[in-house]
Amino acid sequence: MFFGSAVLAEEMNIYFKTTPRPELLRPFVDATDLSLLITGADGRPLKQGTVAIRLEAPHPGGVFSTDYPLVEGTVLSEMHLPLRQGRANWKQLLPIRGEYRLTVHAVGGDGAKMSQVFTFNVRENQKKWLALAALSTGLFILGFIAGRIFTGVPAGAVMAVIGFELFTGAAGISNAQQGQPDRRGVLEVESATVGKPVLIRWKAVTIGDGGARATLTLTVTHLEKQKVVFGVEKIAVDGEWSVKFHFFDGGEYRVAAAGTVPGLAPMRSEHVITVTGVEPPASPMTAVLIVFVALIAVGLGIGRWSKRRGASI
Amino acid sequence: MERTIASRLGISVSEPVSFLIKSGIFLSVCGATLFIALAASYPAIHDTLHNVRHALAIVPCH
Repeated sequence: MFFGSAVLAEEMNIYFKTTPRPELLRPFVDATDLSLLITGADGRPLKQGTVAIRLEAPHPGGVFSTDYPLVEGTVLSEMHLPLRQGRANWKQLLPIRGEYRLTVHAVGGDGAKMSQVFTFNVRENQKKWLALAALSTGLFILGFIAGRIFTGVPAGAVMAVIGFELFTGAAGISNAQQGQPDRRGVLEVESATVGKPVLIRWKAVTIGDGGARATLTLTVTHLEKQKVVFGVEKIAVDGEWSVKFHFFDGGEYRVAAAGTVPGLAPMRSEHVITVTGVEPPASPMTAVLIVFVALIAVGLGIGRWSKRRGASI
Repeated sequence: MERTIASRLGISVSEPVSFLIKSGIFLSVCGATLFIALAASYPAIHDTLHNVRHALAIVPCH
C-alpha cells in the first residue's frame, strides 16, 4: 500500500512508499526499497514518463551529530528514472537517523509536469541508545567510585594510571577507476571521497547512436559490511544512464551493472572502488567528550558527597 | 604517596584541595583516554574501535 502525500493536481498524482514502513526503518541496516507511483488524474498509472529524484540526508541537528556527520545535509542520490507502469523503484541504504527529504519531478509522456517533496523520518537503532546509556552509566559509576576514594582519605594514593577499557563487545569521470569489463557495456565511476557525491555512469557503447533501448540493473555494495547501499533493477534506459551517488562510508565498494538489449548477450560490468574516508569535524567530538568527562565529574561529586554523608551519620 | 610528597616538598594541603588535585588528575587521564578511544585517527586505534564508535549513536566517525 502506498502512503505519503498524494498531490492532487489537474494532470497527475505522485505517491511515495518505503519498504519497510518508515516506523521500522533504522539507519545502516539494510537497503530500503523506495517506490514512486505516478498516476494520471483518472487514477491510472502513467504509461510513459520519467521522474527526476533527489534524496537528501537529514540536516545536522542540535549539539550532537550522528555517527556520519559528513553525510548530514548532503545529497545521497540524484538521478532520472523511467516510469514502468507508472512506477519507479530503487534501493538505498539510509545511513543516519533523522528526516530525509525526497524531491520528485515527474514528467508524463504527454509533457505534463509535476513536482513534490516528500519527507520521512528514520529513527535511531535502539541498541545504539542502550550502548550509549551503558557507557554513560559506566562513566558515572567510575567517577562515583573515584569520588569516594578521593574523599577523606588522609594518605590517599594519587591515582596515576586509570585502567579504562571501552571495549564493548578524485574527480574526473573514470580517470581513476575505469575498467573495460566487456565489449559492450561501460561502467564509469568517479574517484570517490566521503562527503562528496560522485557520478556513476553506465553506457552501452555499441548500440549505434545511443538511442537503442536497454534494460539496466545496477547495484552498489559495501564490501566490508556486505550491504547493498544502492540499486536499481531492470530500468529502461536509452543507451546510457547515470546517478549522482554519495558514498557515505570509507572502504571498498563493488559497483556492478548488467545491461540487456533484446537480441544481444547481457552486458556485465563491474568495478571495485576504494572510497577515501574523511576525518569528521572536531566540534561534534568535542561536545561528546565534554559530556562524557562531565558525567565522570558529576560522579566524583556525588561520590564525595555520599562518602562524607556516610561519615557524618 | 600523598604524605610522602607533602613531606618532601614541605607543604601540607587541606583535604578539599587534595580532593580537587586528585580529581583534576583523574579527569585529565579519563578525558585523554576517552579522546584516544573515541576520536584518535591513528589507524590501529581507529580500526579496532571503529564499530564501538558507530555503536554509540553520537560519536562521529568517518
